[in-house]
Formats: sequence, structure tokens, C-alpha cells
Amino acid sequence: MSRFNFRSQFFQLFFALLAGLGLGLVYSWFLSPVTYVDATPAILRSDFKDQYRIVIAASYASTQNLDRARVRLQLLGDVDPVGELSAQAQRMLAAGETFEKARPLAQLATDLNQGFASLPSPTPFTVLTPQVVSTISVTETQTEETVIIEETVTPFPTILFEQTPITPVVIETATPRATFTPVPGPGAPFALVGRDTVCAPGTQAGLLQFMLMDSRRKQVAGIEIIVTWSRGEDRFFTGFKPELGNGYADFIMERDTVYSVRIAAGGAFVSDIVAPACTDPNGMSYPGGLLLTFQQP
Amino acid sequence: MPRDGYNPSMTSSNLIKMAAAAVIGIALGLIYGWVIDPIEYTDVPPNILREDYRADYVLMVAEAYQKEIDSETAARRLAVLGSESPAVITASTIEYANRNAFAQEEIQILQNLLTAMQTYQPQGNSGP
Repeated sequence: MSRFNFRSQFFQLFFALLAGLGLGLVYSWFLSPVTYVDATPAILRSDFKDQYRIVIAASYASTQNLDRARVRLQLLGDVDPVGELSAQAQRMLAAGETFEKARPLAQLATDLNQGFASLPSPTPFTVLTPQVVSTISVTETQTEETVIIEETVTPFPTILFEQTPITPVVIETATPRATFTPVPGPGAPFALVGRDTVCAPGTQAGLLQFMLMDSRRKQVAGIEIIVTWSRGEDRFFTGFKPELGNGYADFIMERDTVYSVRIAAGGAFVSDIVAPACTDPNGMSYPGGLLLTFQQP
Repeated sequence: MPRDGYNPSMTSSNLIKMAAAAVIGIALGLIYGWVIDPIEYTDVPPNILREDYRADYVLMVAEAYQKEIDSETAARRLAVLGSESPAVITASTIEYANRNAFAQEEIQILQNLLTAMQTYQPQGNSGP
């Protein structure tokens, strides 16, 4: 009987503990969960991440500070930041946004791929506040003099010499935060290295495909391509179809229309492009496609 | 024989023990739910960004404004940070920048944005 009582008491306590645990979990997970007040950009909702990327790209378009843009993009925790930029630019265009709104994203994707800013860095804003006050210690021997000046930031220089002034050696200690990073100039222009006719029944008729690569044959996203013809012009970027490659872009040609292609950033100009005539196995003629391959030297 | 409805083992001592076990269980549950495995948020709005991230976001908006000179766009970008006015958001960022030794040029472009936001008059919605 006492054994039964002991077991009974044990189970009662055990179930009381379990019930308490359950109540505690319900309260801490559902009734009063942890409230986030210091979130990181990585856990933002996807539409806010898109907005964050737009602002990063717009900021980069202004400062051309590629290192800072790269670090900011890393905050979003994307596995492939460049691919995300390209995909977002593509989504924006597909949603009817203007080309100008998608351009900073594509530009940033391009520059991240090539590793430097395409446009020259802007002149840093000039600030004339820091002045210099110097503390000078002079040690003199018979043949040489050593002067060390440690600078701090305050009023204009007040330099007191105990003897004939000599040329001071200045050791600057004030290090302002770097904002504008000098970057190399734009990359070499693209050149046409391949022009292949694509006759594949079942594919889109008159498909003009582009493949842009850098000097190491790595595909380059975000390169603007301009296609012109007698009645119009179209502009688009590589990398808007990441599934086909970062350096890929395409355009649909109409039959009997002559096109010209130009790579916007000082690239090659290719004229007299028409959809080639292909013949299917039954002897029927159809407009084929073209693959233009561009590469930086 | 026990009377109907009367459990001889449920003495006041037992009740105290059960209450103590329940309290311990609740405490364990709270520790687990709040500390060990708290609810993880994945789709949060920007208004709960940590202060330094908020400041950097506002700085980005200010940098973009330097080139675009578009108060409407800047105000719309700032609006995602909360219900405060763009001018208040920018002003608090300048305070943060001053406390955290931002470069003078960064503070200056934040000042430029603040000036723009103080004179900004909303004109309606458009794209991002």
C-alpha cells in the first residue's frame, strides 16, 4: 500500500511538473513571446529586403563606394547577392517599373562582378573643421635635432620653438572614417568574339541571344545592351535571366528587319543583324536565331 | 474504506508539493520558451531594426539624396522605418551620428537630408 502511495505521489508530482511546463511554454511562445527590438536586416521581410537593396544601390550610385555597398549587401544574408540584385532588377522591369529605377541595381551587380566601380569616384565633400595644435618636443644634440609633433584636433597651429625653427616631422594621429574609396577606372570594352547561327526547331523564332564575358571568360551580369532598328530601340541588361547565366540576355527579332547592337559601356557595335533563315527536316524554312558572344580582352 | 470523492493521498502536504512542481514546471517552460528556444522571427518590418542599422539605412538614403535631389523618394524610403515623420527620423539619426563619431561629411549629408525633409510637403503616392 505504501508502495502504491509512493508511485501515486510520484505521478502526481510528475504530471504537475508537466502541466506547469506546458503552461510556461504556452505563455512564452504564444501569449508573451520574445519581442524583437534589435533586428538585423537579414530577417527583414522579403519586400523590405528589396527596398533595402534599392537604397543600397541608390547610395552606391551616389558614392561609388563599392566596398561599403558590398558590406551592406552582406547584411541581408543573401547567398548570392549579385544574383539577387539581378533578379530584383528583372522583377522590377517585369512589374512595369521604369528602366531608370532598375538601372542602379544592375549597375551595382555589374560592378560587384567586375570588382571595381564603373564610374569615377565623386569628389569627397570638403570639410574644413579640423585644425591642428601641435605639441612639440625637441631633442638636440651637437649634430642632429629630432622633432616630433603629435597632433590632436583643435585650434590653429600654435608652434613654439625654443630656438631656431627647423622643419618639423609631423605624425598625424587623427584618422577620419573612410567614406570614399578610390577605385580603378572602367573595364576594357567588350569585343564581339563569336557570331553563331542557332537553328533549332521548337525554339523561339528570331531569338537573338547575347553572352557577355570578362577577360577570364566569366559571365558578367548587369551590362547594358542597346538594340536599334529602323523603327525603334530597346535597352536591356545581362543577368536578368539568371537561370541561363549571369552574362545572358536575349531579344526577339522580327523577320526581315535589320538590327544593330551596341554594348552601352563603350563596347562593340555590331550592325546588319538579321534573323537567319533555317530549314527544318521537312525542308520548310523558318527564322532561326543568333548567338552573339562578347568578351573583354 | 475511503469516502466517495475523498482521496486520502491528497493531503495539504501533497497539494503543496504539486503546486511546487507546477511552479517549477512553469519556470522551466518560461526559461525554455524565452531563453533556450525563443520564437524566431524571420519576416520583420524595418521599424524594429537595431539602431546602428537604422542609422546606416538613413545614411544610405541621405547619400542617395545627394545625387537624386528627390525629396519625395527620400521621404518614401524613410517612411518604412516607422510612423515618425521623415524629419524626426533624420534628426534622431544625426544625434546617433554625433554620438558615434560619424565622419563630418556623413553628418553633413545627413544635415542636407534633414533640411530637405523639414521642407518636404507630401504630394501623394508613387512607386518605390
